[in-house]
Amino acid sequence: MPDRLHPAAWWVWALALGTAASRTTNPWLLLLAVAVAGYVVAARRSDEPWAGSYLVFLKFGLAAVGFRLVMHALLGGVEGETVLFSLPEVPLPGWAKGIRLGGPVTAEGVVASLYDGMRLAALLACLGAANALANPKRLLRSMPAALYEVSVAVTVGLTVAPQLVASVKRVWRARELRGDTKRRARTVLVPVLTDALDRSLALAAAMDSRGYGRRGPGSKLAGGLVLAGLLGACFGLYGLLDGTGPAAAGAVVLVLGFGLATAGLVVGGRRVGRTTYRPDRWRAPEFLTVASGLVPAVVMAVFPDGLSPAFAPLALPALPVLPAAGLLVALLPGFVAPAPSRGTK
Amino acid sequence: MIRLRARSVAALTLASVFGLAAFCWPLIISPASGLAHGADAPWVFALMLPLILAVVLAEISEGGLDAKAVAMLGVLSACGAAVRPLGAGTAGIETVFFLLILGGRVFGPGFGFVLGATTLFTSALLTGGVGPWLPYQMLAAAWFGLGAGLLPRRVRGWQEPVMLAGYGALASLLYGLLMNLSFWPFGTGAGSSSLSYVAGDPILDNLVRLLGFMLATSMGWDAGRALTTGILILVTSAVILRVLRRAAHRARFTR
Repeated sequence: MPDRLHPAAWWVWALALGTAASRTTNPWLLLLAVAVAGYVVAARRSDEPWAGSYLVFLKFGLAAVGFRLVMHALLGGVEGETVLFSLPEVPLPGWAKGIRLGGPVTAEGVVASLYDGMRLAALLACLGAANALANPKRLLRSMPAALYEVSVAVTVGLTVAPQLVASVKRVWRARELRGDTKRRARTVLVPVLTDALDRSLALAAAMDSRGYGRRGPGSKLAGGLVLAGLLGACFGLYGLLDGTGPAAAGAVVLVLGFGLATAGLVVGGRRVGRTTYRPDRWRAPEFLTVASGLVPAVVMAVFPDGLSPAFAPLALPALPVLPAAGLLVALLPGFVAPAPSRGTK
Repeated sequence: MIRLRARSVAALTLASVFGLAAFCWPLIISPASGLAHGADAPWVFALMLPLILAVVLAEISEGGLDAKAVAMLGVLSACGAAVRPLGAGTAGIETVFFLLILGGRVFGPGFGFVLGATTLFTSALLTGGVGPWLPYQMLAAAWFGLGAGLLPRRVRGWQEPVMLAGYGALASLLYGLLMNLSFWPFGTGAGSSSLSYVAGDPILDNLVRLLGFMLATSMGWDAGRALTTGILILVTSAVILRVLRRAAHRARFTR
């Protein structure tokens, strides 16, 4: 039994949960979504360095709520009747049409921007959960084959970055041995960079000698598909943004373009013949995780009652039962995902 | 170092048009559009952009990413990702662009484009910062790496650092503008404040609101970023360009 879930499964689960959270402004549901993501992270995170991301993203989310509230207080927006307090209003020149600086701050407006900020914060919490749970190095291995070279470059980058710290220490140590104890950043730059570049040449030689870079000829079909797909995407987007034509036409052309481009990626990926050492596989826990993330998103799409509580007149919003139950289903990975082996190193 | 074929140039152009629309849509969207209502539009774009990036990066790498280019990309991305946290948290000090611009200058536009994308991606993976902002950052950084590679080659000597520093400062300001454009609809949802975008308003009115949003949120950061990038390039470019060109020469990279 592997001790980790496929990283893509974590991402799909988190993005689906985030989609569910983005469909509502009900504060109870949003708090519930944050709590669900937090519980799963607490239950299934490893002790790798990225496992602390959830808290960082949660703090970002709180900052986003604060940002929304300050922006609302300073600049106005949603109007209401219950005036909490008034800020002195600064008159702006005529060309700043519609921008208001200062003025009355209403309870309705504060509540509206609080809900909106909480929605952003819940979404950030879901992204933080994905960052904390999914192993980025394993995720790079599941990149489409057409991106093989680029993902190898990123893998090299991920491996080399920590070595740079060691390189800096080595240079300082050599300096100290020569009696130069001043730690100046300027004098470290060139040796460390030269060291890193030399290492890259050695790495390239090693990759060449092990047969890296052997691949089939580029495919004309892939290029044609990619170009046609991109062209379709551009036209479709134009149609979608313009909105003068039939509403569905732009979306259809856009989806068609993306389909062609994806087909181009798949065809282009065939030229890279490679095998993976100990590949991550999709088993039952992966399917359960993805399904449990999709449940709240689907429930919220089907039962939209109570998802967007009114803020005028002011009232405490009710907790809609079905969407809340759907969100609780997303707790499932906290139980079915394989527990990471902690502290056994 | 990375040869851009005609096919890759075409794909790059189309993807850039799409990317520019993904940044600027709040300015150009018409009120009749289905995306103008509701809060879905920012998320739709944040989902579409990664695929566009994947397609164009795959197209460029099929055109010719050999082992030397991959290794050099990896090492320079690592350097960029390692120096990036040095500036984070301090208002407006941005340490990632100067390496990106110097790399693009030495190794050419195709390399600069891929380097911009991989540097930001590596940095996000290292710090656990993957989110809807990442594709926007990757695309904008890729453009600036590309632009650095397209600067006139004849300029050498003392003029080179000055030109690069000027380009770096300008690019940093533009990067800030683009990031604000992408964050604008997320940060202030449609209609939630008097600085939010209004679908279908004249571009000028929306631009005034965007300017207000920039002044209110990030002008200090953007100015600081432009200043630090320019100064870093002026101070370090002579040395770093020499080191990079030596590496390029040793590997006999062809442009």
